[in-house]
Amino acid sequence: MTSLAIKSEPRRVSPAAVRVLRVVAVRLLGAVGVLVGAATATFFLIQAMPGSTTDVLLARTQASPAVRAQVIAEYRLDDSLFTQFFAYLGKLATGDFGTSFVLRRPVWDAIGTQLPRTLELVAATLVLTVVASVVLAVIGAGRRRWARSLFSGVEGLIVAVPPFWLGLVLLGVFSFSLHWFPAIGSSDFSGLVLPAIALAAHPVAVVTRVLREGLLRTLDEPFVLAARARGISEVALRARHVLRHAALPVTSLLGWITGSLIGGAVIIEIVFSRQGVGRLLLSAVQNKDMPLVIGVVLLAATVFVVVNALVDAAAWLLDPRTREH
Amino acid sequence: MRSRSTKAIVGTLLLGTVASCGGTTEAAGPSGAPVRGGTLRVAVADEPECLDPQQSPTAASRFLARPLVDSLVNQGGGGRIAPWLATEWRVSTDRLAYTFTLRKNVKFADGAVFDAAAVKANLDRVVNPATKSLLAASLISAYDKSTVVDEHTVEIRLKHPDSTFLSALATPNLGIQSPATLTGDPAARCATVIGTGPFRSAEGFASQKGISYTRNPDYAWPPEGAENDGAAWLDAIEIQIAPDAGARYGALTSGQVDAIANVSPTNARELGSTNGFVLHSTPYPGIPFSYWPNTASGPFADRKVRTAFRLGIDWPRITENVYFGVYGPAKGVLTPTTPGYDASLESQYRFDVAEANRLLDGAGYATKDSQGYRTKDGKRLTVRHMWSDAGVTDLATQVQAGAKEIGIETVEENLDGGTFVDRLLKGDYDLIDTNFAAPGPQVLQVLLGAENIPTPERGIANNMARYTAPAVQADFARALEAADQESQFKAYADAQRKITDDAAVFPIYDDRTTFGATSRVNSVAFLADGAPDFHQIWLSQ
Repeated sequence: MTSLAIKSEPRRVSPAAVRVLRVVAVRLLGAVGVLVGAATATFFLIQAMPGSTTDVLLARTQASPAVRAQVIAEYRLDDSLFTQFFAYLGKLATGDFGTSFVLRRPVWDAIGTQLPRTLELVAATLVLTVVASVVLAVIGAGRRRWARSLFSGVEGLIVAVPPFWLGLVLLGVFSFSLHWFPAIGSSDFSGLVLPAIALAAHPVAVVTRVLREGLLRTLDEPFVLAARARGISEVALRARHVLRHAALPVTSLLGWITGSLIGGAVIIEIVFSRQGVGRLLLSAVQNKDMPLVIGVVLLAATVFVVVNALVDAAAWLLDPRTREH
Repeated sequence: MRSRSTKAIVGTLLLGTVASCGGTTEAAGPSGAPVRGGTLRVAVADEPECLDPQQSPTAASRFLARPLVDSLVNQGGGGRIAPWLATEWRVSTDRLAYTFTLRKNVKFADGAVFDAAAVKANLDRVVNPATKSLLAASLISAYDKSTVVDEHTVEIRLKHPDSTFLSALATPNLGIQSPATLTGDPAARCATVIGTGPFRSAEGFASQKGISYTRNPDYAWPPEGAENDGAAWLDAIEIQIAPDAGARYGALTSGQVDAIANVSPTNARELGSTNGFVLHSTPYPGIPFSYWPNTASGPFADRKVRTAFRLGIDWPRITENVYFGVYGPAKGVLTPTTPGYDASLESQYRFDVAEANRLLDGAGYATKDSQGYRTKDGKRLTVRHMWSDAGVTDLATQVQAGAKEIGIETVEENLDGGTFVDRLLKGDYDLIDTNFAAPGPQVLQVLLGAENIPTPERGIANNMARYTAPAVQADFARALEAADQESQFKAYADAQRKITDDAAVFPIYDDRTTFGATSRVNSVAFLADGAPDFHQIWLSQ
């Protein structure tokens, strides 16, 4: 884009290119700000949790006074809060995420071990959410009132079902009884199916509703009337024209969902005995394992930032109006 | 064992902190002659944060490391110490020097030879603060130094006599690992542990996933008296971490695994009556699941109130209601399978409402308020039960109802882990609950020794009753200096009687270790700390 603009007008950079560059620069600055803010907030929130870090770390042990002193010295737990904070930030700036107090291994290594399974699950959940929502919304956006009420009722029901319970039901039916899918610890595709369904249920219900409302609203627009007048089929109308309009609010919703899935899949990970970052985060928080908690939070924040940039790019493509300013 | 949850901080964490392995406590009838071969697939609930039991204090690290490491001695039924990697030993008359003669021709999985230098390297590494040993170092706190006398003789010196030293050596926490693996960063051992055990694991433990073992074909040095005196019957074991009880149970009954550990009470009852499956189970040695009164301050500082609370509540009925017969009611400070248990005290653990009411009247709580609770000087008799594990809710509700019958109000305080720890250290509570699996009566000192009261200076420790009775402390000291097991048990029996008279703890039920398996899994027996003994298990083909 930029290079094209420069070629056509070699003397000066086009205003459009400047605009894009400025947007990218502001975005990057914002991203760094989000990450530093997330690390800072997490650090102080962990400190604000009741119980001293040393006591919580050694809670399940019979550590001798010598070992207690060693732990305090090694993790610098007797430094002042601000010394600890700036020492940590300094290391972070050099790309060193520190060592988990409890797992006794580098934070990056601990996260790296669990991350692939989490990314698989998040990706599968998103694909499932998008496909199911589009299909269900296009079908459900009929004009008949009773059909709409039916869809809307089912969505409400799904949102009310706790994901762990849905997970257990899926396990009971499709794993324990029918033996179609493995119940625990499988890392191949068949092990991904049930967790992804259990995790996608809520997002599908929410996204379908938003998308359907958007479709119905768009169907009242004058251009729909014009298209119908040209004799377009109902399916083609929805798929080609209406969906594009209705998809805009959904893209930003998906961005938000993705960010929340990184650490939020913990219940599903436990029910299906899956490796994952959520379980890592849960035990890290329980143990006040500060470097590991911040590591996971930074990971989730990064995913959040990246996905939101993609969402904005998608909006830019979908809706010419967002390119104006 | 209680289901794992946020009690994280004290309950489960303390649970089973001292334990040894090697002895078998219960054998389920195997059918026919053992067959070699097969892979045993197991799902377990808990995972260690670090596989190395010299570093980790968890029962999970002992469970997963035991197939990999052997110990110098083995603790069998009744607390008897038997030869293992040490064929014999001599104790000096001042009980400060232990000279071990080591077994010859023993090899580690990495090919290294087991010798006196290896023993010294292990013990020195455990007590080195840089190892950050969260349990093993405390188990041998009396350790001074080791001297290599010759290739197969090692002398260990203690700083002071400690009659629990041999049973500490029997735990997987003091299991002997290959010396070459002990130098360098201790963190490397959190995934792989190399020992002389009947199994080996090249890839080691993967967090949240599990561990796979293969048979050590050269294994010929099991503990004296072991049922299987050679290499393990199983070709391999695959252990998967499955935190959800329902998922574990479904995986077992649908044939996706051969066995599961930590069967929930509901599932245990169901499994016992399901064809093709067997529930293997044995009581944990150690301290029953109990309520611990704060004997230092509040209403329970008064012995009469404590005794009334113990006598006035029908603990066996509550246990039956909540666990439908899977767990038996407790009848003492220790569980009956603990070496040194004093059965003569059982009659004191009875249900006697009249006596409880008489004691409370005598303690000055003779009047009652409009809601039926006892009062003294216009103040209601209220005790605060503090917990952070939702697993205790059903039981606590029933205890609350039972206490109300004798006019005591129990307030349930469900806390987050950090607040729980904070208030534990400050002594700001009246009741705490926990159990504690352990191989011998020395666990009494861990939970009732005056030096183990949790305080902000000391940090977490396990005397949650904050109990200091000097006569009992003297019994503990006498036990540690005992010259033989008989006099050690005698001292601990005295302590049990005084603790019972003092109502320093309210024992509720005897916890059991459970291992649910298909009927193809034969010869299931449990080690002294409740883990199954994989060395002797075999699979029907």
